[in-house]
Amino acid sequence: MYSEDESITRRRFLGGATTAGAVALSSLARSEHAAAEPPSAHAGNEALPPAWFEGPDPSIPKAGLRWAFSATVFFADRVMINTMDSPAGRGYTSVGGGEIWGPRLQGRVLPHSGADYYKTTFTTYYMFQAADGALIFIHNRGTMRRFAAPYERGKPLLPPPAPPAKQDAVWTRFRATPVFTAPIGPHDWMNRTVFVANSQRQANPDHTVFTYYEVL
Amino acid sequence: MRDFVVPKTDTKIVGKIELEYAFKLAAHYDPPQQSHTPRGTFRYQDIVSGEVSGERVNGTVYPDSGGQYDTVRGDRIRDVDAHFMVKADNGEWLYMEHVGYRRPDGYYRAIAYIETDLTGAYEWMNNTTFVVTAKESADQREVVFYYYIAN
Repeated sequence: MYSEDESITRRRFLGGATTAGAVALSSLARSEHAAAEPPSAHAGNEALPPAWFEGPDPSIPKAGLRWAFSATVFFADRVMINTMDSPAGRGYTSVGGGEIWGPRLQGRVLPHSGADYYKTTFTTYYMFQAADGALIFIHNRGTMRRFAAPYERGKPLLPPPAPPAKQDAVWTRFRATPVFTAPIGPHDWMNRTVFVANSQRQANPDHTVFTYYEVL
Repeated sequence: MRDFVVPKTDTKIVGKIELEYAFKLAAHYDPPQQSHTPRGTFRYQDIVSGEVSGERVNGTVYPDSGGQYDTVRGDRIRDVDAHFMVKADNGEWLYMEHVGYRRPDGYYRAIAYIETDLTGAYEWMNNTTFVVTAKESADQREVVFYYYIAN
């Protein structure tokens, strides 16, 4: 166990010893997320209607998504072991804290409860704390891919222009698939529901909003 | 525990996800074999064969290349963990992994992660999240998975 003093020292150390790789990644991530799909403003916890998607013929079962909740996450320390260009590259981005709102879950991101320990894909482990105090473990796997322009239904996604072309218009499709472990009780439904999420990086102050959908 | 004060943010935003149907996979399994473990009932099912069909990919499940390694929990919900290999019609290999839940109420959903050749025709499947709806026969030996891309 770290004492409070030791952990503060550790944070101070990280603040002073951030590697060039982490700085580069940090700015890269910012530009990648700048071109995310335009967010729709939402007042808070009211439910939104589910969206249904279908295949080319009626024998294919429809798939539905319903907004479950969102999490505003403030990341803290960023560390790189090697670089992302190396097969051994491992990143660490710690979760400072945040807020959870939406129709099916409200609460907070438990401060300093974990991190994203990513390689080429995201692998995140941290804790939610629901408004009733329940601790919910989130293990999140994520994929990320860049395209020339945002997805439009019925149109193929095209690869992004090669650097050094302007990257402003690039669309990053970040999708996360969390597996939750929730205590038996009102949040038990999270133990038996498949989720898919997206993320949008926001500035001033720098944070990321994750939108979690239940797969119906 | 160290505290963290959440800074004020202006807007609560809800990002969009759209699903796009991609292909289906009809899997043929051996009967499940179950054993009691400290974690619940372990349920192994060998994948004997299968067919992948869709506009952008067609192929065959490589016989006996894996199967389902599920756990039936105390609440009768099955944690799905499936791994197998597909050989596409053009000869390229696909590794397919599925993580999801199969519930007694008929809800059978998963997320699929697929890995393919970086220089191949199915490179588009890498770093793509697939939302899967599954239908199971009464004897649980025929399962059809329907894959939607989460765009």
